[in-house]
Amino acid sequence: MNFDVIVIGAGIIGCSTAYYLSKAGYKVGLVEKGDIAHGTSSRCDAVALISDKKPGMDTEIGYRSIEMYKELSKELSFDFQFASRGSLYVCETEQELEIATGYAAQQNRDGYRLQIVDQKELLEIEPKLAKDLIGGIWTEVDSTMNPYLVCYAFIEEAKKYGLSLFTNHEVREISRGVKGQIEKVITDRGIFQTERIVNCAGVWASRIGDMVGIDIPIRPRKGMILVTEKTDQIVNQKVHEFGYMLSKFEDINYKRNVSKLVEDHNIAFTIEPTDADNYLVGGHRAFNGYDIRSENQVVRGIAERAMRFLPELKNVSCIRTYAGVRPWVIDHLPIVSEVEEVPGFYIAGGHEGDGISMAPITGKMITQLISGEETDFDISRLKFSRYQEAIIS
Amino acid sequence: MAGEKTIVCRCEEVTLETIVDTIEQYSCSSREVKLRTRAGMGYCGGRTCRNVIDRIVAATNGEPIKDELQLSYRSPIRPATFEVLGGGHENES
Repeated sequence: MNFDVIVIGAGIIGCSTAYYLSKAGYKVGLVEKGDIAHGTSSRCDAVALISDKKPGMDTEIGYRSIEMYKELSKELSFDFQFASRGSLYVCETEQELEIATGYAAQQNRDGYRLQIVDQKELLEIEPKLAKDLIGGIWTEVDSTMNPYLVCYAFIEEAKKYGLSLFTNHEVREISRGVKGQIEKVITDRGIFQTERIVNCAGVWASRIGDMVGIDIPIRPRKGMILVTEKTDQIVNQKVHEFGYMLSKFEDINYKRNVSKLVEDHNIAFTIEPTDADNYLVGGHRAFNGYDIRSENQVVRGIAERAMRFLPELKNVSCIRTYAGVRPWVIDHLPIVSEVEEVPGFYIAGGHEGDGISMAPITGKMITQLISGEETDFDISRLKFSRYQEAIIS
Repeated sequence: MAGEKTIVCRCEEVTLETIVDTIEQYSCSSREVKLRTRAGMGYCGGRTCRNVIDRIVAATNGEPIKDELQLSYRSPIRPATFEVLGGGHENES
């Protein structure tokens, strides 16, 4: 079979990329080793935020993506439970609030509305929060959705533009011509002729990279989530401790007063409501290979930390826990890039915990890149070659 | 089974009709049925309906039941409150 582009991986990034490419008129084959949203995209939480992004490009891309989701929620025929509920950061100490205030001020200077709230306002917004929290940041634009339903929505729509989906097809080999250019994608169940590949394999992107002799420095970073029973309203929106930022970005110098368990497992409280009236409670970050088993100590730490911020959770049942692995890169910016040494090979990956957030803009920019059009953002900082340059310097 | 209004997943109130329609429309696996309909995602964690869903999928798709696990098992083995899960741990910092 012959395709203009083969997209590898039907997670959120592959689904979005396949959608935008198909819409632009390309004949696209989407090849996936399991089912749609088989990996990280069904083992995550479900928000598109600007308030967990670094000021600058990270936030700009995040903001544009939320705007795109708003449009997509009207355009796509399949409902993916998109809602603009806002999000709330909570601070435990004066020092934390000071760092948060500085962060919000910088975002406000860039034109994003992040509003500092005091203790009283905090409890007006979310009455069930612990009474001793001293303030936080409220971000109106932050939104939620159902991550795997977004994948289904993209696929559904892309099929209208002619997308061919090949689930349960594992890529085994990529064959190239004399100049190193892409010629074929060989799977366990068939061979696809193509001159272009977009590697959207997420945490497995490096394995696809190995097939064309490049080292893609995306590594799995685990996170666990506890699912509550369906229960009365606990919170109205995503709520997370500002310490979450500190667990995500290693370069912020602030140490929380937390138990050894919470500290050791890099646990930071986050909770979000779902359309099904369950709540997702996290979060945690660890480098532990591809292991996605639930860990009792992490469950314990997350539960302990969550009750500190929402004492009422004490009597709420956890019905399920799960873990997923995020596609981490060292500089916390995704790779949205061609690969110069392998003509026809593109990478869209390395979004860590922002894959859902940034999927629309990523798919769109890869499509622009392949079409030779100017991309919506200057993506020179997202180039794959930045890692090779880093090694030389 | 008696009728199409038969409830397969009691926790999420998913009917046989919904499950069969989903399989026919998307020719999908048990896992995809779960994600699309929420069957098996409720309070009991699929203890009641898991095997039934696997059988309906196999029968509708006309395929034998696969040995590999379609619907995974997740801890805790029964619902437990946050107090139970997070308790018993003294602040060691």
